[in-house]
Amino acid sequence: MKDDAFSKLHPAVNLLFFIGAIAFGVLLQHPVYLLAGIFASGVYYFFLNGRKGMKNILLMIPLFIFITLFNPIVNTRGVTVLFTYLDRPYTLEALIYGVAVAATFVLMILWFGCYGKVLTGDKFTCLFGNLAPSLSLLLVMVFRMIPNLLQKAKQIIGVRSSIGKGTAGKSSIKDKLGSGMTVIGVLTSWALEGSITTSDSMRSRGYGTSKRTSFMVYRMTKIDWILSFIMLLLLGVVIFFAANGGMNAEFLPERNITPINGFNVIGFIAYLGYLMIPTILNVKEVIQWNISESKI
Amino acid sequence: MEHFRIENLSFYYPTSKDKKSLDNVSLKIEKGEYIVLCGKSGSGKTTLLRHLKTVLSPHGKRVGEIFFNGVALNDVDNRKQSSKIGYVMQNPDDQIVTDKVWHELAFGLESLGCDQKTMRSRVAEMACYFGIQDWFHRDVAVLSGGQKQLLNLASIMAMQPEVLILDEPTSQLDPIAASDFLNTVRKINTELGTTVIITEHRLEDIFPYADRAIVMDSGRIIADDTPRNIGRLLFEQNNPMFTAMPTPVRVFCNANGNGDCPLTVREGRAWLNKEFETEPQISGIPYKSIEEDIKNPALSLKELWFRYEKDTPDILRGVSLEIPKGSISAIVGGNGAGKSTTLKAICGICKPYRGKIKVFGKAVNKFKSGELFRNCVSMLPQDPKSLFVKSKVSDELAEMTKDKNKINEVAETCQITELMNNHPYDLSGGEQQRAALAKILLTEPKILLLDEPTKGMDSFFKETFATILNKLKSQGITILMVSHDVEFCAKYADRVSMFFDGQVLTTETPQKFFGGNSFYTTAANRMSKHVFKNAVTAENVVELYRKNKGGTV
Amino acid sequence: MKKSNVAMLIVFLALIPLTLFLGDKLPGKGYYITGVLIIIELSVPFFMAFERRKPQARELVVLAVMIALAVIGRVAIPIPHFKAAFAIIMLTGIAFGPEAGFIVGATTAFASNFFYGQGAYMPWQMMAYGAGGMLAGFIFIKNKIPKKPWIMAIFGFLAVVFWIGPLLDTSHIFIMMPEISFATITASLASGFPVNVSQGICTALMMLVFGKPLLEKLDRVKQKYGMFAN
Repeated sequence: MKDDAFSKLHPAVNLLFFIGAIAFGVLLQHPVYLLAGIFASGVYYFFLNGRKGMKNILLMIPLFIFITLFNPIVNTRGVTVLFTYLDRPYTLEALIYGVAVAATFVLMILWFGCYGKVLTGDKFTCLFGNLAPSLSLLLVMVFRMIPNLLQKAKQIIGVRSSIGKGTAGKSSIKDKLGSGMTVIGVLTSWALEGSITTSDSMRSRGYGTSKRTSFMVYRMTKIDWILSFIMLLLLGVVIFFAANGGMNAEFLPERNITPINGFNVIGFIAYLGYLMIPTILNVKEVIQWNISESKI
Repeated sequence: MEHFRIENLSFYYPTSKDKKSLDNVSLKIEKGEYIVLCGKSGSGKTTLLRHLKTVLSPHGKRVGEIFFNGVALNDVDNRKQSSKIGYVMQNPDDQIVTDKVWHELAFGLESLGCDQKTMRSRVAEMACYFGIQDWFHRDVAVLSGGQKQLLNLASIMAMQPEVLILDEPTSQLDPIAASDFLNTVRKINTELGTTVIITEHRLEDIFPYADRAIVMDSGRIIADDTPRNIGRLLFEQNNPMFTAMPTPVRVFCNANGNGDCPLTVREGRAWLNKEFETEPQISGIPYKSIEEDIKNPALSLKELWFRYEKDTPDILRGVSLEIPKGSISAIVGGNGAGKSTTLKAICGICKPYRGKIKVFGKAVNKFKSGELFRNCVSMLPQDPKSLFVKSKVSDELAEMTKDKNKINEVAETCQITELMNNHPYDLSGGEQQRAALAKILLTEPKILLLDEPTKGMDSFFKETFATILNKLKSQGITILMVSHDVEFCAKYADRVSMFFDGQVLTTETPQKFFGGNSFYTTAANRMSKHVFKNAVTAENVVELYRKNKGGTV
Repeated sequence: MKKSNVAMLIVFLALIPLTLFLGDKLPGKGYYITGVLIIIELSVPFFMAFERRKPQARELVVLAVMIALAVIGRVAIPIPHFKAAFAIIMLTGIAFGPEAGFIVGATTAFASNFFYGQGAYMPWQMMAYGAGGMLAGFIFIKNKIPKKPWIMAIFGFLAVVFWIGPLLDTSHIFIMMPEISFATITASLASGFPVNVSQGICTALMMLVFGKPLLEKLDRVKQKYGMFAN
């Protein structure tokens, strides 16, 4: 999706959000918190990827089941033995723990998927431009070259086939490998020769004459500061409750899951609130648009 | 005050110790001047330009001095040189370092260590001046060649240089993008007073505005005068560089015209007007009309439709074309109209979803795999480098056939016999084109497809290339080329087809085709239209001029 | 390596036990976070050494070319699951030394993630690819071992099967497995073995066919333009 409200924020705010979401996603094994994580990441993932995203989310179900069922095989602890095989017990507790492990895995995939859509290469390099100028420049140059090389590769493949040296009609691995190598070879020569011009162009524009600065196309605005503050505050609340055992969950050898009641509800609300920030921003934007449109 | 002063500069490349690449060059360049440097490829233009910036100076033995603003260039520190001397190179793609337009604009300023505030205002300024606000946030990869070169220029101008050096900046661009680019350079020169030193093939767009034209040959400066005088000078010296002069200049000198030499089409028209106050007796040159019914065409395309992806617009919208055996045909037309796609369709790189392509009467899909490209059809790609896979020209040719005699024969036809031991990437653009041509000729094609064959070639290479094409034609090979180069097509093609809106609209002889057009035609035709009917090349105009003037000249 | 760089390496290595100690106190799958932190602590000294050296423009461009090639290699070869990246990374290490090998490896993994989609295993990929490039650089340093295609092919195979592959497979322990134990480690390594062998064969093939030409091409650029001549 092109107009994700959260992506428009400063990259530092984006990064902070994902660090928090992923770190607590793996730390908190409490079923309710895992459910919250899967819900929030799933909704945002769907928003970012549309129908294709839905397909990917559904594809995770078999993975989820596999990890769940696999866990009791490597993990034989637990008191309730469901059955034994090859003299090994298969326990209920391990199975339930498997659900938690699978849930963590799925929410990691989803959060990383969102992260990839939001923190694009240019945002990332912008973020680390001052900290690691050479490395981020290297990365920027790689991002520049990739589409260039891809286009060139297509061109070479076309040209090779139009002098009768293509792979069409040839199916053996040897032929495919041979022609693939030739394409990579041409690509390499071409890119290396081009790199001389690129480095001339860099030096001609003063590369290496002074300490590099980094042009920030993104600026921290008021909303960025406010949101960072809110996020840190919510994370603080979550850490406070987590440290006091409000989010504990143990599965092995016996189930021992802290109920969410009393004060602990605050911790849960803070966590869910934090994870829903991107979605809330998007919903807010849609509503605002509708209001301003209805005024017209 | 002078900007650059070059005193007795000589230079030898380490690989050719006895041959001077620059031979005792002395030159003064004043502030704010617009200077055009001409010469064949290999005459030392680029070597001279590169000496004007220390980081770009080639390695080798150097004698002589260069002064920038009165200070020896070597004593001017790199930082200052980086910002004060801007240098634009040939290839638009390779000069770009970063992936985003905004980042590229800021690259130089980042390197100089400017602070955010300065960078912001400079980048904004440049984006506005060059009209790139609309694509400021885009990926560089989606820009056209013309936009890329403009971006290169803008990102150099962001550093506020005093001198702008441009080394054949438009050789990789199509004509419209090229003249846009050169107009921007002229704007920079007149509005900002930036000194401009440029080498360029397209002298038509520069001569009217340049202060001085400097001609180089074998590392020496052989002429240095105003553009108005330089043509006559070269003509009198019988210098081969004369062929690169703008059409009005060539016509004027060849016709022994009197008075000021015309530089633009407008001036050329005015001069012809004066010469022919009454209608000329012979107003056109005879030409054969093309055969309407082609028997046994070498190539026939019927109603081709093609699009790249399911939801993109059609690129080919019913292309129909027949090419007679043993002819040179040209397809001309605007950018992105689908000319190159048509060639790709013939080669099977693109598969049309409707329509028929027949080669010598046989549908292309009836050819077995690879059979089409053996001894039948071959295409010279736009970028000859995409054909090169080996580290020696001779190995390139050996990839195609084992027959030594055949290789030697083809190498001779393409005039690359002396280049056989070179690395393909060390050849000049025109030489690469010929080596690539040799390689595809080894498939012994009966139909040769050429995609923009004259791109980046100077006028001498074009002539050599045309001789080769004519030789191939005489051997019975059918040639179909796609080109922006109307001058080349007018001069060498037998048939010209206009491509527009995904279709071939008309096919005519060059005389009739360009003679009938008023905009999309050659400079010679635009200049002589009001006097002669169908003079489409400078040679045509001169011929008619001489015939009419006969004894009076 | 410079003295200051060695000092930096020691500082970061000292951080590792501390991370392990604190990481042990984290609840849930905290070991994922510990693992990521340790990888960062291992790599940062190398990245910082690269930064401090202030690489030349020409060096940066050539490294960028190699990285871009490694990232898109699989597009050029029309065989499914054939990864060209390992061979290209190791060849860079062989041509330009361990440091360049590490940078190209780690950055290839990093850039691939932007190109093919982000995943939780990204830090492990960076470590494994980087370590692969670095190992190649060390083995072939100073021409003690001849850079013959078949030697590079054998090296490539062994490096993928016993070094890069297992390093990559450790990510499964941290991401998919419920705990770190002998059982989960062996399960992760064993399940990755067949894939590693097939990738090792691909890499060996690449080395055989592409190794010499690529080294020649890099040499040509090195000589023609005096690159890496310090």
